[in-house]
Amino acid sequence: MYFALTDEQRALGDSVREYLADRFDLTAVRGVFEDPRGDGHPRELWKAVGEQGWLAVCVPEDYDGLGLGVLDAQVVARAFGAGVVPGPWLTTVLAGEAVRLAGSDDQQARLLGPVATGDTVATVAVRGEGGRFDASGVRVRAAADGTLTGTASPVEYVGVADTVVVAATEPGGAIGLYLVDPHAAGVTVTGLDSYDGTTRLFAVGLEGVAGERLAGSSAEVLTALLDRGAVLTAADLVGVAREALTRTVSYDIDRVQFGKPVGSFQALKHHLADLHIGVTMAEHAVLYAAFALDSGSGDAPLAVSVAKSKAADVAREVTATMIQYHGGIGYTWEHEAHFFYKRAKREAYAYGSAVEHRDRIAALTIDG
Amino acid sequence: MDLRYTAEEEQFRTELRSWLADSIPARWRDPGFWSVLPDNEAFELRRDWERRKAEAGFAGIAWPTEFGGRGGTPGMKAIYDVEMALADAPMTVNPLGLTFLAPTVMAIGTEQQKREIIGPMLRNEVIWCQGFSEPGAGSDLAALRTSGRLEGDEFVVNGQKVWTTNALHGDKIFAMVRTEPGSQKHRGVSMLLIDMNQPGVEVRPLKQMSGASEFGEVFFTDARVSVEDNLGGLGNGWGTAMLLLSFERGASGIGQYTVFRRQYDDIVATARTFGRSDDPVVRQELAKRLVELECLRYHAMHVLTEVEQGHDLGSESSMTKLQWSEASQDLWETFDDLLGPEATLGHPRPGLDLESMQQEAMWSRSVTIWGGSSQVQRNIVAERVLGLPR
Ligand SMILES: Cc1cc2nc3c(=O)[nH]c(=O)nc-3n(C[C@H](O)[C@H](O)[C@H](O)COP(=O)(O)OP(=O)(O)OC[C@H]3O[C@@H](n4cnc5c(N)ncnc54)[C@H](O)[C@@H]3O)c2cc1C
Repeated sequence: MYFALTDEQRALGDSVREYLADRFDLTAVRGVFEDPRGDGHPRELWKAVGEQGWLAVCVPEDYDGLGLGVLDAQVVARAFGAGVVPGPWLTTVLAGEAVRLAGSDDQQARLLGPVATGDTVATVAVRGEGGRFDASGVRVRAAADGTLTGTASPVEYVGVADTVVVAATEPGGAIGLYLVDPHAAGVTVTGLDSYDGTTRLFAVGLEGVAGERLAGSSAEVLTALLDRGAVLTAADLVGVAREALTRTVSYDIDRVQFGKPVGSFQALKHHLADLHIGVTMAEHAVLYAAFALDSGSGDAPLAVSVAKSKAADVAREVTATMIQYHGGIGYTWEHEAHFFYKRAKREAYAYGSAVEHRDRIAALTIDG
Repeated sequence: MDLRYTAEEEQFRTELRSWLADSIPARWRDPGFWSVLPDNEAFELRRDWERRKAEAGFAGIAWPTEFGGRGGTPGMKAIYDVEMALADAPMTVNPLGLTFLAPTVMAIGTEQQKREIIGPMLRNEVIWCQGFSEPGAGSDLAALRTSGRLEGDEFVVNGQKVWTTNALHGDKIFAMVRTEPGSQKHRGVSMLLIDMNQPGVEVRPLKQMSGASEFGEVFFTDARVSVEDNLGGLGNGWGTAMLLLSFERGASGIGQYTVFRRQYDDIVATARTFGRSDDPVVRQELAKRLVELECLRYHAMHVLTEVEQGHDLGSESSMTKLQWSEASQDLWETFDDLLGPEATLGHPRPGLDLESMQQEAMWSRSVTIWGGSSQVQRNIVAERVLGLPR
C-alpha cells in the first residue's frame, strides 16, 4: 500500500510553487486581476510554463511529452490554485487530453508536440449556458457535413487560444469533439467580464463553422475529458483552499483583540480545525480520483465526483471564512482574500457543481 | 500511488476469509439474533468464538510472535478489520485490553507483565476494563481523585470510576490512581492493574440511552493491589496513559469504512423500502454522507501508508477520529430523515433490521464523546496541528 505522492511528484510540486513564489507572486496576480481588459495571459509566465514542462505532463513521450498522468498534473494544478495563478494552463492540458484520448495518430503527431511546449494555446468548449457538464449540456450541433452551429459558455481563454476543442451533438445523437480555429469565419467570441480576475471567460457562438473531428471521439471520450476537467479543477480548488486556510490561521495567530490573539478563541479554533480536516480530506480525494483515472479503476466516476463535490464545498467554505476571520480588512479590495474567494466560486461550478456531482454519486450508489 | 496489498497479505486474506466462513454460524446473521439473547449469553458466545479465533492464529495480527501474536504487517491488520466486517463477525469482548493495554505492555511493561498479561488476554481468560474517567474527571483526566495509599508492599485504593466499558464482565482494570497523596494534576499518578474480583471492588451497571448496559460504575473501597502491579513506573501514570491512548489510533479506518459502507447500503435499502430513494433531497443527503465515507477510506489508506513507512501519526489521529465519528453520526441522522415520522417507531419491516439500525443510530451519539470528545479533538488539531494559541 502506498497512498502518497512519490518524491518526484513532490519535487514537481515544489518546483512550481518555488517558481511562482519567486516570479509570479500575489502582486503579479493583482496586476492581471486589476486589468480586466487585458488578456489575462502573462507571456513570461507562459514561457516558463512551457520550458519547465508543466504542459507536457500528460503528453506521451512519443510526442515529446513526459508521459505521466493526471496524478502528476494535479500536482501542478494544486500549486496553481495555491498561487491563484492566471493563464491557459488547465485549458491547454485538457485540450491535449482530448487529442490524446480521441485523436488519430496523425492528429496526435500534429497537435500534441506544440501543446507540450506551449507553442499552442488551446481551450475546451463543452457546455452551453444553462446546461450540465455532461452530454446533455452540449449546445452545439454538428451537421452532416461536419459544420458546427450553436453556443458554448463560459469558455476560458478563447481570447488567446489558437485552437478550441468543441463538443457537438452529431446527427443520430452521437457526441463528437471538433478542433475549431477561433479566428475562423462564423465564430463569434464575446468577453464575459467575470468577477474572478484570475481567468478570462468568453461566450462562443458558432454559425456553420468548419471543424476538424477528432477521429475517435464519442460520448465516452467526452465523459473522460469532463472527468479530467473535474479532477484538475478539484486540485486547483484544494490548492486555493489550503492556501486560504494557511493565510487565515497565520493572520489569526498575529491579530490581537481583547488582549489575546483572536486565534485563541475556541469559536475560531474549532471551525479552523474542521476546515483543516475538510481540506485534508479533499486533498486525499483528489489524489485518489486522479490515480483512479490513471489506472482505469472501475470506481473512477465515483471517485471523481467525490473529489469535485468535496473540493468545491470545502473551498467555498474556507475562502468565505478567510474573509470572515480577517474581519474588515478581509472585505477590502486591497486584501488578497477576494482572489481566493472569487476563484473558488468560479471553479466550484466548473466541470460540474457539488450538487451535480452528488447526483452522479446517488445514481452510482443508490440506483446502481 | 500503489493501492495493492502484497501477495503475502492477500494470501492472509484468503486464509482468514475461509476460516471466518467456516466458523460463523449462519443464524448469527439473522436479524435480531444478537438482540434477543440475554447480555451474558451473548457475551459468552462471543468470548468463546474469539478464543477459538485466537487459537486458529487470527488474533494479535500485527503483534510480534513472541507475545502470541501473528507477526503480521499493518496491511494484514487492515485486511483483518475489513474481513471481520464483511463476515459480520462478532465484535471483540476485550476491546480495551487488545487495543490499549496490550501494545502498552509490549512497549514498556516488565518481562513478567508481558508474560502474564498478554497470553491470557488473547485467550479471553482475562477481560480488561479501562479505569480513567471519574465523576469529576472526564475530558480533564488530570482532575482524577481516586487514591492509592501505600501499606507495606500494597496500595490501598479508594475512589470511583465511571462509564467503565465492560464493567460487569471485567476481571481486571487498568486504572489511573493518585498514588502520591496531595499531588496535583498529572503528577503523582500511577497506572495500577487492579483485580476486580475482590471485596474492595464493587461494580454497578449503568443503563445507556440505548437501553443496553455496556458500561458501569466501579467503586474502590480499600481495594488492594501490589505495588508491583503498576505499568510504566510509580508516579509515571500520566506518561503511560498518553502512550496507551496513542494506540487507539493506527490504521483502523479501513475496517471502519467497511462497516459504515455496509450501513450506508442498508440505509439505501431502507430508502427504497419506504419509497424515498427517488426524492432528490434524500439523494443529495445520501450522496453527502457517501462523500465523507469515501474520504475516510482514502484517509485511512494514507494513514496505513504512514504507519508502513514508520512515520509517527502524532496529532493526525485526532483528525481520523473526528472524520469517522462525525461521518458516522451524520449518516445515521440521514437514516432518521428518510424514515421521518416512522423514525422512532419499533415496528419491523420484512428484509430490514430496523431495530439494530436504530441501535446503531443511538450508538453513534456516543462516538463523539468517548476516546476524547470531538471538542477535545478539535482543540488538539487547532493547537498542535495548526499552531493556534491556547
Ligand atoms: C460509550 C462510552 C464508553 C466509555 N467507556 C469508558 C471506559 O471504558 N473507560 C473510561 O475511563 N471512560 C469511558 N468513557 C468515558 C469517556 O471517556 C468520557 O465520557 C469522556 O472523556 C468525556 O468526559 P465527560 O463525560 O466527563 O464529559 P466532560 O469532560 O464533562 O465534557 C462535557 C462537554 O464539555 C466539552 N468539553 C470538555 N472539555 C472541553 C474543552 N477543554 N474545550 C471544549 N469543550 C470541552 C466536552 O466535549 C463535552 O461536550 C466512556 C464513555 C462513553 C460514552
